[in-house]
Amino acid sequence: MVPIIEKLVLPVAIPIYERLVNSLKTRISFNQELLPIKIENLEKNAEKKLKFLKLKHQEKLLPYEIKAGVESEYLQEKYQFELAKIEDKYYWKNRIVKARAARKGIDANQDLEMLEKSKQNELAGLKAFYYPKDKDIKSYEEAKEVLDNEYREKVAQINQKLVQDIEKNQTLTQNKIEKYKKSLKIFEKRLAIYTAKKKAKYQIDDNTVLSIEGLSMYFGGLKAVDDLSFDVKEGEIFGLIGPNGAGKTTVFNCITRFYKPTMGEMYFKNAYDEVVFLNNKKVHNIIKEGIVRTFQNVEVVWELNIIDNLLVAAHTLYRSSFFGHMFNSKLLRQEERVMRKKAEKILEDLGLSAYKFAYPLGLPYGILKKIELARTLMANPKLIILDEPAAGLNEAETKDLAEVIKKIRSEYEATIFLVEHDMGLVMSICDTVCAISFGKKLAMGTPKEIQNNKTVQQAYLGGE
Amino acid sequence: MICKTEVCTDRRNKLKAITHHPYFGFFVITLLMLFVQFLRVVGVDIPNTLIRSFGITMIYIIVALGFSILLGYAGLASLGTAGFVGIGTYVLGYFTKNLELSIFLAIAVSIAGAIILGGIVGFISLRIEGMYLAIITLGLSEILNEVFKNAVNITNGTNGLGLDYSLVIFSKPIIVNHNTIFVFAAVVMFIMMILTLNIIKSPTGRAFLAMRNSTSAAQAMGVSILKYRLMAFIVSTVYALLGGIIYMSYISFSIPTTWNLAFSLNILAAVIVGGSQSIYGIVLGTFMIFGLNLGIFQQIPLFQENPAISVIFNGLLIVLVIMFYPGGLIRLVNKTYLKLKVFSKKLYQKWRVYRYGTDN
Amino acid sequence: MFGQQISSNGVEQMFDTKGYWNDVFLFVLALAVIFILLKIFVFKLFKNRDRAQSITINIMVALGIIFLIYRVYVMLDQGLPEVISAQDFLFRNIFNQTLQISVLALATTGIVLIFKTSTTTNFAQGMIATFGAFVAAKIIQRFAAAYPEMTVLNSVLLAMAGGAIVAFVLGMFIDVVIIRNSKDKTPVGKQMITMGLVLILSGAMPVIFGKVALPIQKMSYDPNIEFNFLGSPISITVHAYYTFLITVGLIAILFAALRFTKWGLGVRATASNEVVAGMMGVNTRIITAMSWAIAGLLGAVAAVVLTPNITNVSVAMMTPTQVNAFMAAILGSFSSFAGPLVASAIIPILTSLFSLVVPLWQNAIVYLVILAIVLVKPVGLFGKKVAKKV
Repeated sequence: MVPIIEKLVLPVAIPIYERLVNSLKTRISFNQELLPIKIENLEKNAEKKLKFLKLKHQEKLLPYEIKAGVESEYLQEKYQFELAKIEDKYYWKNRIVKARAARKGIDANQDLEMLEKSKQNELAGLKAFYYPKDKDIKSYEEAKEVLDNEYREKVAQINQKLVQDIEKNQTLTQNKIEKYKKSLKIFEKRLAIYTAKKKAKYQIDDNTVLSIEGLSMYFGGLKAVDDLSFDVKEGEIFGLIGPNGAGKTTVFNCITRFYKPTMGEMYFKNAYDEVVFLNNKKVHNIIKEGIVRTFQNVEVVWELNIIDNLLVAAHTLYRSSFFGHMFNSKLLRQEERVMRKKAEKILEDLGLSAYKFAYPLGLPYGILKKIELARTLMANPKLIILDEPAAGLNEAETKDLAEVIKKIRSEYEATIFLVEHDMGLVMSICDTVCAISFGKKLAMGTPKEIQNNKTVQQAYLGGE
Repeated sequence: MICKTEVCTDRRNKLKAITHHPYFGFFVITLLMLFVQFLRVVGVDIPNTLIRSFGITMIYIIVALGFSILLGYAGLASLGTAGFVGIGTYVLGYFTKNLELSIFLAIAVSIAGAIILGGIVGFISLRIEGMYLAIITLGLSEILNEVFKNAVNITNGTNGLGLDYSLVIFSKPIIVNHNTIFVFAAVVMFIMMILTLNIIKSPTGRAFLAMRNSTSAAQAMGVSILKYRLMAFIVSTVYALLGGIIYMSYISFSIPTTWNLAFSLNILAAVIVGGSQSIYGIVLGTFMIFGLNLGIFQQIPLFQENPAISVIFNGLLIVLVIMFYPGGLIRLVNKTYLKLKVFSKKLYQKWRVYRYGTDN
Repeated sequence: MFGQQISSNGVEQMFDTKGYWNDVFLFVLALAVIFILLKIFVFKLFKNRDRAQSITINIMVALGIIFLIYRVYVMLDQGLPEVISAQDFLFRNIFNQTLQISVLALATTGIVLIFKTSTTTNFAQGMIATFGAFVAAKIIQRFAAAYPEMTVLNSVLLAMAGGAIVAFVLGMFIDVVIIRNSKDKTPVGKQMITMGLVLILSGAMPVIFGKVALPIQKMSYDPNIEFNFLGSPISITVHAYYTFLITVGLIAILFAALRFTKWGLGVRATASNEVVAGMMGVNTRIITAMSWAIAGLLGAVAAVVLTPNITNVSVAMMTPTQVNAFMAAILGSFSSFAGPLVASAIIPILTSLFSLVVPLWQNAIVYLVILAIVLVKPVGLFGKKVAKKV
């Protein structure tokens, strides 16, 4: 392509294609997740229909069975049921009589006897109804054949329909996904061509996920963070430690764009494996890149139950529009089902299923912190920033937390960025530790290295 | 002694599915409102004022619903409601009188206008926090009130603007009078209640609540404060304008003194007293603040001579509810309902012991 | 240009005079140009961004007012009959606002005081003030008959004192009994309580004081005070003069109390952080109660001196003043006492100037101006931005 046209077209074309690719990928995964839910529903409905069909069939067959004296299971069940009904009825009548007698202080034996007699009468009548003397087997066999055939037909119908429906849904979804995949291939190829032409805007080391260079945050004269640089490798648990006021909170507030850093650059390899320049991003778009954070003061929505709280975090994954929400569109209903399933799975993973429909008000602090953690997993995060997760937890809870963090790292393939005071936790689970003080970096390395580093010891751990 | 077979249970569940369906309550409420009108049509002598009070209450429920989305869910205080409802009335009046357009076009225009107006106030709300916003919107309402009084060309000033029914619907020869508009208002109220519930239960409603609880946490979860504040204001303004249009259709007269600060405060009172986060609360609150006043109090001589007493009543309601029942009276109603359930269960047990004696 | 004669009933309505839209356009254009120039210049001078912004806005507002005065002067010059000079008319108009400014200053101070100590925007300020005015009117009614020999000034002062005391008690009552015992103590909840109080008081007053008209006479029917200002003869009513003196006196006492007394220190401490102030031994309860009481007192005084302009005490009498008081508090920033005072001088002057230029719409225009300023500088003309920790 002519270089001039390239320069004009590329900046416009690349974002468009990126968006198309991303949206297609989302749609593919959404439809894939939706399919098992749909199939589940279809199977449930078919099961219900079959159950009722069987019941009806048995009901239809019953009179013939009675006449023929065939003791099928259903007949026995129904007989027992009616028997129990009669027993029940007379039991309660008995009690009424006794209570009335007790109230009025009269003798009840006569009434009770009469009651007993009518009960026996009814029981006899019932038996006679269900086990009559004369039997008529022929009509029974005829009827049985007809009804059985009907039943088999209908059952076959339902099963067939179920299989058809499942197949239909599967093929539909397959076709949709195929279509999307085809377009996806085309767009990805196009995108690859364009991105190859365009020089990679930002470079980052191969297995690094977050790269901070020269980050500085000045509040007037106060240098909260001063020329801080570090790299976070993919899949590791990275710890940021430092005495109070060292600027730890400021650092990740800058990363998550709550503050605008005075100087410095931040690069992040986002969920789509592309390196973005974080300094331009708006606060509410950070989660779309794949960075999530927890809050030190547990920030849950008190008016919603736990599972709804998790759904808030999935907000950016919803494709339905405001009008879809207002009119409760089909897409919204489907999305809600998919998201709820995802939330339930996450709650199960973290052992919080018991609290699914509870409200946060009154729950223990440790559970609320776990819920915050669960919330971060809803948005398929690449980097999870934990703000003093062990604050307020006792030793046992902290050990539990360490396990949970390690589990999250392996199962959800996320990189963890930990800001923490609890040295036990930091030293036990972190792969890399970076120590800062007064906004400047003191040292960075493995926990053992940090523990033995003299400057760190002086500033933070107590000094020699 | 209840039937426990599959068929029985299934039928029971189906009935439950209907009665427990979220929209069912709204349907019942609408039917009750229409019932009054039905009685009137059938011939039962119901005083005009009572029917009118029901009609106006329904209209104000629509306005209050919009206000509750703003206050109860997005947590934004705005006292400009009176001005917006007034604009709705004047839009309908002006369009049908001077431009001779149909009501539907007026509705379309007012929705467009509501989007613009609501958007403006929404943008303002981004710069100005909570309490200051209430004051700014208070000023806005007062200014709109003055505009209504002064812009005589459009609003006919303090003489009020009348509505000529014959101009409202030009295609079909539908008989348009108070009765039909009553039914129309009831239907619109029903629809708005359903839409409001949908919004509340949807991701948008959850985003509003997240924004209300903590703007930082909401942003960290992907909720754009700008977008959702704008949305909240636009939605609530659309409700207010819609209420204004229906008011004008029903009362067929609009005068600036109606759309003043007192009206905004009354809508606020209705939402707070009833319960700002529950639709049934809104209905309850609107009835208590407006319905009681118009329907019952104004018939009692004591209130007629001292119209200030109903104002005191409303003010007292607000203060007492905030002091002792911050969640609104609907919570009290719910609690009472539950207590009644428990009580009636106990009563039932006692009756059982009486009738059946104890287990021996 | 604006019509031939400037008199209260001779001016035509906005919809008819189209000639001056050009002027408005030019004015806005000039504003924009000056704003950009100022920004570049001032920001170079001052390193602190917020301070620079603040100064820019203040200069813009001052320039705007000066320009408006000049514009009106030119307009008057051309439009007035030969008898009055434009300068005289203009200054007379501005000084006519003395009463309004004083009343507004008192009302605003009350609102800011309550806001600083209990983070509540007291919407009931006007009603409490009106209550005091009703009491004062009743006192005059009773005593005027019993003691006819008292001078007008004394009787009004006595009534004012009476009304102020009642409002004082009422304010304290509201804080101690109602707000202290409420379950919902969030600022929004307290705001709603004040709104409810507005309704209660506005309904209760006609019931308590009856429907008979209650007038309060002016403090003095002496001939106006005449003096010269920059060569123009100004005449102020003695009533306005006394009001001005009372206002200055009360506010000076308040400021002195805030600076030099223990109570004042307590107020400033509570204003910056209520919880910590409590922990430092400040009795926040008494502070808040006293603030409400004093605000009530100030409001009542304002209402009493306002009455002679409106002839009879009525329930809605203080509503316009209250709305303006809130505007002044927002414009001048809730976080200082001096700011709202300056704002309460600016607003009546602006309104009167605009009423000469665009009658009927002056309130709307002033509101828009305030809105514009607050949008550019949300903390008000003299406010400081408070950074919050996330």
